[in-house]
Amino acid sequence: MLLANNLSFRRENQTIFNSLDLSLSPKKIIHLYGNNGVGKTTLIKILADVLNSDSGEIYWNGKNIKKNTYEYFSNLTYIMDSNTSNNQMSVIENINYWTKLFSSNIKSTELESVLKMLFLNTKKDIKAENLSRGEIKKLELIRLVIEKKKFWLLDEPYSGLDNDSIVLINETFRNHLNSNGMIIFASHYCPEIPNIETIDLAKYANN
Amino acid sequence: MQIINSITALFYKEYKIAYKNLYDILTIILFFLLGIFIFVFSIGPNEEIFQQIGIGIIWTLLLLSNNLSIKRFYQNDFKDGNLHLLHMSGMSYELIVLVKLITNWFFLQIPFFIFIPIACLMLNIQNDNIYLILLTFLIGSPILTSIASISGSLNLLNNRNIEIASIIVMLLSIPVIIFSFGIIKAPPELIKPQLSFLIGILLLFVSITPWICAACIKIAIRNS
Repeated sequence: MLLANNLSFRRENQTIFNSLDLSLSPKKIIHLYGNNGVGKTTLIKILADVLNSDSGEIYWNGKNIKKNTYEYFSNLTYIMDSNTSNNQMSVIENINYWTKLFSSNIKSTELESVLKMLFLNTKKDIKAENLSRGEIKKLELIRLVIEKKKFWLLDEPYSGLDNDSIVLINETFRNHLNSNGMIIFASHYCPEIPNIETIDLAKYANN
Repeated sequence: MQIINSITALFYKEYKIAYKNLYDILTIILFFLLGIFIFVFSIGPNEEIFQQIGIGIIWTLLLLSNNLSIKRFYQNDFKDGNLHLLHMSGMSYELIVLVKLITNWFFLQIPFFIFIPIACLMLNIQNDNIYLILLTFLIGSPILTSIASISGSLNLLNNRNIEIASIIVMLLSIPVIIFSFGIIKAPPELIKPQLSFLIGILLLFVSITPWICAACIKIAIRNS
């Protein structure tokens, strides 16, 4: 259960958003929506404890995330706007690194099938810098499966993906929601997922 | 248990990247050796002079080559969000800094233990002094790595004037140079006190570097 109240953020004396409230319970998905520069990435960064909000607090299961950071992080998968995969390491090396880093118990057969679904199984030994933009994004999204956390926070998960992958991602989202997961994502694309809650950030802009 | 897995994962990644960038390390060593060549050419073949200033030349070049490694520390991991990813895996920033210090010391300073004796031979330095240089470098190199780490973390948000990082390194390295050079010139009974002083500096830097760098990284991430 995620709760945020009265969030506001200012940058260079300009209010990006003001008194924003947010609550997310299991099986719920929130779509952050808005034009460029309206503060989607900023809000996601605040929720991931990268940036500090100017006012307001965020609670995870009733505990302030500033005081229980690691407990919050052990439930959070954050797909950033930048690609965290290392350019110089191959696809499989990146995956091995993440598996170790998050002490994942993912089985190699499971990983194999995910790679096959994303058409990355033939590119296992290729360096990440030689992949296309969409493929790098897909590699990044594999972290969702590896980490196996409850709360997914995604910044532009659809950018650069082909139609097949978008269908696959939506399918993954639905499965995650069915198994008591929760998702917040920011995107210009509106996927077809039942019970999706859309927040238009323009409503909270300076007024 | 998870924290140990995370630490091994970071070691694994640092090893992979260092292995794939071996030419980075080679460049730094080449810089060191070429610098010594240039000194030799500019001063001329005079054995007596080199016996007097040779050790100073070697330490100066060690310091300058240390400057080349500043960017390797946190810049890339900061830009692609990996520092935050490591933090999310349950590691504190202090721990990340500590692992980075160990790996960077291992990959960037250990090779010098092979090339310092070669440089000493080029400058005609006595055998006894070679041992002393290696001993002071064993104590001094972690200090140099710490200083480069501090300077690298201080300049994470600085995209315009990265040269200031080198200046910080040079300023902070002055005590290391004074004591490392002092030991070799000192009479035998003064070697031990000087060595203890150098070890004191080492312990100071090793204990404060993780906190300083972690604080700098936190500030940089909050303002990214």
